[in-house]
Amino acid sequence: MIKKNAKDLDNNFRFEISKKIGAKSLLNCIQCGVCSSGCTVTEYVDMQPHRVVASCLLGLKDEVLSSQAIWTCSLCHRCTERCPKGVDYSFILALLRNLAVKEGNIPKEYSDTIRTISKNGFVIPYTGGMKITIDRRRDKMGLPKIITPNLDEINFIIKETGLGDLIKEDNKKEVKK
Amino acid sequence: MEYALYLGCTIPLRFPHFEYAFREVANILDIQFKEMKGSSCCPDPVATQSLNIDTWLTLAARNLAIAEKMGLDVMTICSGCFETLKTTHVLLKENNEAFDRVNLVLTKIGYEYKGTSKVTHFTELFSQEAMLEKIKNVILRPLDDLNVAAHYGCHLIRPSKIMQFDDPERPESIDTILKVLGANTIKFASKLECCGYCARLNEDIGFKLVEEKMSELNKLELEVDAMVAVCPACVSQYDRKEKLLSRKTGKELDIPILFLPELMAIAFGIEIDKLGLKNRSVKPMKLIEKLKT
Ligand code: SF4
Ligand code: SF4
Repeated sequence: MIKKNAKDLDNNFRFEISKKIGAKSLLNCIQCGVCSSGCTVTEYVDMQPHRVVASCLLGLKDEVLSSQAIWTCSLCHRCTERCPKGVDYSFILALLRNLAVKEGNIPKEYSDTIRTISKNGFVIPYTGGMKITIDRRRDKMGLPKIITPNLDEINFIIKETGLGDLIKEDNKKEVKK
Repeated sequence: MEYALYLGCTIPLRFPHFEYAFREVANILDIQFKEMKGSSCCPDPVATQSLNIDTWLTLAARNLAIAEKMGLDVMTICSGCFETLKTTHVLLKENNEAFDRVNLVLTKIGYEYKGTSKVTHFTELFSQEAMLEKIKNVILRPLDDLNVAAHYGCHLIRPSKIMQFDDPERPESIDTILKVLGANTIKFASKLECCGYCARLNEDIGFKLVEEKMSELNKLELEVDAMVAVCPACVSQYDRKEKLLSRKTGKELDIPILFLPELMAIAFGIEIDKLGLKNRSVKPMKLIEKLKT
């Protein structure tokens, strides 16, 4: 690990995180390691859950936000479930990903999803030939017609909440990990 | 009993036969639905939440606002939708600031989120005492010759402070339903393991998790006729990866994966051929033969 001077630490990082929705609990961590021992992906990450939490508390912002660990999670919520101090690690992870996204660090798998939602209202393409095939299949089973959401509303929400850049056609922001 | 039926995306668009089985079962059990017109993707708890929690909560609150206008609680048929909508419901109740932020956006497009509609998953409804009694009374084809493994998946029960349903470490709801259908349910070590579908950036994780669970079930002394799950992501993950793993390793993994409502539909006497079980990668031919006798 690279040695850091105290002045390179971001002392505000833990507060930046802990004031966000669902992440107040960060400050309670006692470094027991329960989260890491039950983590579904623990052997696949470059930094285990309790280490990520410690790094946030220490202010190692760049290390955390550029780690692969924050993206390699199966969202099983076992960390949050079992933490004896009520640290909501799986939510804190989502928040850390949000912060990484703001810095332009976005795996393509993720940005593709929001673009699909922007174009279809769903995470599965439902236009043109796809729509015809899906409708035909549903008709055959006697299932009701799909009523698509108003896409202007969906895109308004996406833009107002800060993801407008990601749904622009010409966006070059994402970085493939 | 009436609900606003929230279908999500994956089931209606990719696995409509799951929806068919669910509707048939609900109909037999006398559960009424109104369709949620204009609802969108829940949105998915993996990508959307990771990109921006506010986008996730606001799109979810828009969906919930549609149900609120109908004056009904929301029925979900996918654990991912259940997670997103229930988490939104709980978080926005606890956090006034987020509640206001969400509504500030929603009012501009003519919606208001109040938090009045509760969110449920069919497993929760079907495992209630009164419903189990009802289920007992409509069974035409008891499943007493079947050994069935239950897969709970993660989002149905965790984190328990949000989902507030069943026991997060020792869940029983699916097993209870299976037992009422007559099936013999199986105890196994990897029962609560994740399917790995949401670990998007590394497919090895999913392969490892699927292999572990399915190998364990294959090694048991008694023959497992099927595994059931209550989420389309779990069903498709095990089904597809079992097939791919068999091809890759030469070791046959052939336990069919069923969506719980499919097995209920069979027990309720719905024609098996109408259920689309043959679309599975792991074809449940042995199971179908057994069921037809
Ligand atoms: S389980 Fe909780 S208290 Fe223990 S190391 Fe993990 S986050 Fe910290
Ligand atoms: S939610 Fe993610 S970080 Fe937490 S235990 Fe599961 S895989 Fe590990």
